[in-house]
Amino acid sequence: MGQQISSALRQSMDRVVVMLAHFLPGLLAFFVALAVLWLIGWGLSFLLRRLLTSVRFDERVATKENSGSPANLADWSPSNSPTLLISRAVFWGCILAGLAVGISAFNASYSATPEISLFLLPYLTHATGAILLLLIGTLLARFLSRSVLIGAVNAQLHYARFLSLGVKWLVLVLTAAMALDHLQIGGTIVALAFGILFGGIVLTLALAIGLGSRDLVSRSIEKTIEKPTSAKPADVSPMNEAAEAPRPRLRHF
Amino acid sequence: MSSLPMAEVSEAVDTPRVQAASRPPTLVCMPVITADALHTVIDRLVTALPYGDILIASPDAPPDSHIDSPHEGQTVRTVPYPPQPAHAGWLLTSADYLAAANMARELNAGTTLLLGPEAASLSAEALHALCAAVIHGADLALPRYNVGPHEGLVNAALLYPLSRALYGVENRMPLTLDAAFSPRMAARFAVVARKASNTANDLMLWPAAEAAVASLHTREVPVGDRVLPHPDAGDLNSLLAQIAGSLFSDLEAKAAFWQRARNVTPPVLAPAAATHATAASAEDLAEVVAMAESFRNAFTNLQEIWSLVVPPQSLLALKKLSLSSPEGFAMPANLWARTVYDFVLAHRLRTINRGHLLGAFTPLYLAWVGSHVRRSDGDPAAAEQHIEETAAAFIAERPYVLARWRWPDRFNP
Repeated sequence: MGQQISSALRQSMDRVVVMLAHFLPGLLAFFVALAVLWLIGWGLSFLLRRLLTSVRFDERVATKENSGSPANLADWSPSNSPTLLISRAVFWGCILAGLAVGISAFNASYSATPEISLFLLPYLTHATGAILLLLIGTLLARFLSRSVLIGAVNAQLHYARFLSLGVKWLVLVLTAAMALDHLQIGGTIVALAFGILFGGIVLTLALAIGLGSRDLVSRSIEKTIEKPTSAKPADVSPMNEAAEAPRPRLRHF
Repeated sequence: MSSLPMAEVSEAVDTPRVQAASRPPTLVCMPVITADALHTVIDRLVTALPYGDILIASPDAPPDSHIDSPHEGQTVRTVPYPPQPAHAGWLLTSADYLAAANMARELNAGTTLLLGPEAASLSAEALHALCAAVIHGADLALPRYNVGPHEGLVNAALLYPLSRALYGVENRMPLTLDAAFSPRMAARFAVVARKASNTANDLMLWPAAEAAVASLHTREVPVGDRVLPHPDAGDLNSLLAQIAGSLFSDLEAKAAFWQRARNVTPPVLAPAAATHATAASAEDLAEVVAMAESFRNAFTNLQEIWSLVVPPQSLLALKKLSLSSPEGFAMPANLWARTVYDFVLAHRLRTINRGHLLGAFTPLYLAWVGSHVRRSDGDPAAAEQHIEETAAAFIAERPYVLARWRWPDRFNP
């Protein structure tokens, strides 16, 4: 009996060692492929950065752009440098290529389960897409929340911060739902939860804006009814908008 | 910069008369105006410029038509306006300067007078003074209008102090509505305006700054009253962002010029009598109360954004200002100067999105306006004193912006 147990254990050990012997070269091939592509990516990004710096790419982009536009490349680039953005994009592109090559190399050398690359590669692309979605969504949420905050403050709204937070969380919730849907996680549960949460946030914001600005809306309607041909107003101070003086007291321009 | 009294200018222009015959023509570029206003301006031009030919370029007048002149030997005629967007905005743009400069070169104009909207409100003496300044050696003549204590506030708070401190230009209204310039200045405008239109940047051009950089002579000319045109569209936020953004970009482009040390003459301030507290009128006090409240709201919501731009001691001073009572609501001139310089730097370094930066600047500007209203209380002398104190503060804080411009990381909050 003891000999049978030890024989069974020896056979199991042999099977695991053989499996590892088949598995390790594939794993090593994966890391080698990743390392090689990492080196290539680092080299390409270094050369690209030197080249773009020598041709003053950042200055050329800055002169071509409209300073007030939200679509300025420099504003969305790390350290406001389009050169850095492009070089980092090339570097991370090479890393992703390295991952793809590594997984294929792993699959080619580990022939026991050929479906691994068929499963891992699509999931890798989905994961990359989800990460990009999260990045873009986070940047967009920060940009929009700040825009709304500044606009609301300049419009003399007292709930500016609340409005800004609402917009930020709207965009973040939408982004998270899109990322989870892209990864095919959660299914209808995520879609339902997103719908409830998003609808709740929108309803809250609508109530806040509607209740908070009803005085402004009613004053605006009264003005339209009483003075349909009023002259074009000059630049007025914030509180003079509701004044009935025929001439503004402050002229900014 | 000085200006000659009207009488001296008239006498200087009148003699010697024999030179009038050989004087190059004066080109007058008109905006889009009504027919009645056009005739009014032409009549005043003929009165103001009795010698030398006058060429009038107007989008509304038929080209090559002759206008009768009461002065012997003088030719007054219209010339074709260039085929481009008509000179119709409330401000002079780089396209207007480019069109005027091109016409001046083609027509060999000795003096070019570029008029903005509501030009019919300019008197004949004003038109005469502008042209005479150029005839007597100035490359650029900029008008100084009579404005009330609560008018032209953006010029008073921001454009004039910045231009004076950094460019050394004593021009009270850098955002000029009219200008007269020589052929040399026209050539400079042509180069700069063409570059501006090619880069798709904002279309504004700062004539006094261009003259300073090109070492051309600028003279400010008092022209009396003028109707100030209303902005075409947009609220204060968008207009201030447009104008401040344009000026900040211009400062960045000309940094090599204003970084060089030069003697900038500080304004002469009246004795301390202007600092006494006067009883504010009810209207002004209500205005200041509203502005103080809105600044408090702005500080509460925007201090995180402001903390990315201004250093901690300025932020603390702004916090104290937000907590002050309306009666004591006064933004110190040096605080305003440093804050503006911080925003200029942040605009250059793109600390935050430029649109956000300029949007966050508006409440600070309105805080200065509130201080100005409380300080001036409708008195033109007190308002002028406050404006000159602001300009003096900008000059005094010039080393601050020079140091931060050269070593931005060292003072990075």
